Amino acid sequence: MNLLIKPFKIKQKSVIPGFGITMGFSLTYLTLLVLIPVSMVFLNSAKIGPAEFWEIASSERVLASLKISFSTSFLAAVINVIFGLLLAWVLERYTFWGKKLIDGLIDLPFALPTAVAGISLTTLYSQNGWIGKLLAPLGIKVSYTPIGIVVALVFIGFPFVVRTVQPVLESIDLEVEEAAACLGATRFQTFYRVILPELLPALITGFALAFSRALGEYGSVVFISGNMPMKTEITPLLIRTKLEQYDYAGGTAVAAVMLIISFILLLLINIFQWWASNRHKVS
Amino acid sequence: MAGSIPIQIKTAKTTPAERRAVKGSKIVPVILTAIAILFFILMLIVPLISVFAKAFEQGANLYFASITDPIAWKAIKLTLITIAITVPINTVFGLTAAWAIAKFKFKGKNVLITFIDLPFSISPVVAGLIFVLLFSTSHGLLAPLLNAWGLKIIFAPPGIILATLFVTLPFVAREIIPLMEAQGTTEEEAALTLGASGWKTFWLVTLPNIKWALLYGIMLTAARSAGEFGAVSVVSGHIRGLTNTVPLHVEILYNEYKFSAAFAVASLLTLIALINLIVKNVAHWKIKQQSKI
Amino acid sequence: MSIEISNISKTFDSFKALNDINLHIQTGELVALLGPSGSGKTTLLRIIAGLETADQGSIIFDGEDNTGKSTQDRKVGFVFQHYALFKHMTVFENIAFGLRVRPSKLRPGKEAIKKKVHELLGLVKMEELANRYPAQLSGGQRQRIALARALAVEPKVLLLDEPFGALDAKVRKDLRRWLRKLHDEYPITSVFVTHDQEEALDVADRVVILNQGKIEQIGTPEEVYDNPANPFVYNFLGNVNLFHGRVHNGKVELGSFKSSPDNNDQGRDIVSYTRPHDIEIKLEPEGKEFIGSQITFIRAVGPVVKIELVRLDNGEYIEAEISKETYRKLELKEKQTVYVRPRDFKVFIPEDYVI
Repeated sequence: MNLLIKPFKIKQKSVIPGFGITMGFSLTYLTLLVLIPVSMVFLNSAKIGPAEFWEIASSERVLASLKISFSTSFLAAVINVIFGLLLAWVLERYTFWGKKLIDGLIDLPFALPTAVAGISLTTLYSQNGWIGKLLAPLGIKVSYTPIGIVVALVFIGFPFVVRTVQPVLESIDLEVEEAAACLGATRFQTFYRVILPELLPALITGFALAFSRALGEYGSVVFISGNMPMKTEITPLLIRTKLEQYDYAGGTAVAAVMLIISFILLLLINIFQWWASNRHKVS
Repeated sequence: MAGSIPIQIKTAKTTPAERRAVKGSKIVPVILTAIAILFFILMLIVPLISVFAKAFEQGANLYFASITDPIAWKAIKLTLITIAITVPINTVFGLTAAWAIAKFKFKGKNVLITFIDLPFSISPVVAGLIFVLLFSTSHGLLAPLLNAWGLKIIFAPPGIILATLFVTLPFVAREIIPLMEAQGTTEEEAALTLGASGWKTFWLVTLPNIKWALLYGIMLTAARSAGEFGAVSVVSGHIRGLTNTVPLHVEILYNEYKFSAAFAVASLLTLIALINLIVKNVAHWKIKQQSKI
Repeated sequence: MSIEISNISKTFDSFKALNDINLHIQTGELVALLGPSGSGKTTLLRIIAGLETADQGSIIFDGEDNTGKSTQDRKVGFVFQHYALFKHMTVFENIAFGLRVRPSKLRPGKEAIKKKVHELLGLVKMEELANRYPAQLSGGQRQRIALARALAVEPKVLLLDEPFGALDAKVRKDLRRWLRKLHDEYPITSVFVTHDQEEALDVADRVVILNQGKIEQIGTPEEVYDNPANPFVYNFLGNVNLFHGRVHNGKVELGSFKSSPDNNDQGRDIVSYTRPHDIEIKLEPEGKEFIGSQITFIRAVGPVVKIELVRLDNGEYIEAEISKETYRKLELKEKQTVYVRPRDFKVFIPEDYVI
């Protein structure tokens, strides 16, 4: 075959018109609304200077908030993977009354404003709320504790897992399961050895999406957490508090830490999805 | 905040429920279904119902008084203005970005998609902060300019609109890109060979094919514009009757222990969310019908 | 309208899809571009339509250079492989599309469009389906609507990309015959792409055989089938038996009949190609050129009996087709040893040197 060295081209030729104008507009808009504003965080952090930046980032209150944010987000994401998988499984594999309704309502946490979710959950789980009342005799307090944060984060995160697992579960060829059954595998063995490995990439993606969403969540948590510094203060709230105290440098430094974490997560998700979609391909 | 998973394009086939591979025990499905339904009711239905229950706890009169209160009305008005501005702008952006990404092959496409997704992965508080850092009249990068011209963006409606534009930027694009990619370019090519201009091709061929996903994307943008809390809260300054949107008004009422009033206003936002879900399911169903060919 | 394709080359990334293609298509001709997948046939068709731009070369319609023209200005009718019907439009709207999108000055009136669409619906025999949507049609019906839509703009050239590729065998044959008839009645210059040799030989006035971006042969169906220019064409146009051998003193020697092996240095390796129906089977060797073979498989379905044999001298495989009459006369059975000879063959020397 004849290998030609061709000049570097950004775009392949196409008869479809309008690339220049649509691309130009999109890039301009993205630059003005996203890239420049987001870069402000790093620009301002750079102005602070590394020593002071480190001092802010490693202060006790910031570290405590990061610890709370990470631990509650992680726990919520784990719970979401378990129940998300369960819901996706039940919706895809079983028929029961009201299934369509449940399927249609799964996305409610995406659609419901977080402030509404926040006040609703707080009221439900406070000591005289519908659910809090039942838990109080058992000595379990939810609202204004880290458990409350987890509840809010489970609420806002579980559609991610359901919606990433569902299509994969649907696309698994039933013949594969039938083949496993013909070869003598029990139902559980089929699930564990055949289905679960297929679902794993989707589960991990769902976990990462729910986790990264939980880390940044503000509206629903701010009501239920009680916002006690060192105990139930999540990182986004700490940024907000610093801003209200006109501590712009402090707020920006913490925001920079959060942004870097978000970027790393985003990068990992992308790399992972790329890997997952290519791993069984013949190169 | 509300991320979005684009409507899945599914192909019709026998559902697994219709074709049981193995006759397993009948108890396991029942138990699993029961747990799933219980979780669903506890996590979703109860909070949903409680919004309306709390809203009407003190009677219908207080409910209507709360949502017709002049300050509530001002908040609703500001929210409507925000929607009226963000929806058209981000719809145009979504369409142009989707056209460039889905209909052409070019280098750096994935980077572009990542940038479009960026607002999803940034905490809403940080989304608010970045506009404070740019436009604050005391600390912002553009403070000298703004002060010279006497412009106020932060703690004023323009800041709210900017922050809302930022957080709702990905919705339309993310809904229509996968669909446009799946549809490919042959229908557009067919239109071009039949002599249609680029604009007519878009208007008569592309748009009708994506209208349901587009509608849902627009609906998501509108709902999110109405419900955005974190980012708006940072840039608004909570000036009653001036920079309060509906969710901020809910927060103020709640913090003042006016629970019924807070839930009354919150119920309006919940209704929008429910309408959103209905639109989504109709759109989903329509797209499925379309892709059955 | 005649089409003059000169020196067309096209490269995708590092893949050379077309390499210096020259082809002249006469007014009113029905030409098939035939080749395996990846041979560049669809790319060539898309370049003629203006859907793809060639890296070099020119496309001339009736003496007018169209190389730089956009698809819209070329006035070609293009039928896509998967029809590319507009899903959200009815059959009527699909066919009317090309007329409706014309600039208002050139656009026919509503009545004129309606008349034209119904005329075309009549042509493709689908008058009663005008208000259906593409989803409600069968594959063959969609194909005919796609054709009617392309014809609505009264193109000077009709281009069809694998027009019958997605249809089942029966519908395919019907549509093939119909397309041939249509072309006889409305002799528009037409080019269609196919990977099915039977289809190309059956429908086209001339066949262009492409392989790896190059034209291997151009000719009428008879020419290319009876006189393939090279082994590729021979292979591509039907089943074939290979006999390896040598040239010696100007004579061809095959298999075990190399009479003077000591003169090897003078000989050249050759390959002879024979179609299965050109294999003669006898019960006894009636000459030196007969090769002893054992029958391994017989299929006697239909008028032609298919027989598979293995040569006794070198174990090579031979496929033969004989008439039922001959088969009955010879009373052939599996495992039986018979003698075969290529009645007619074509010899290629592996340096592309043709005797």
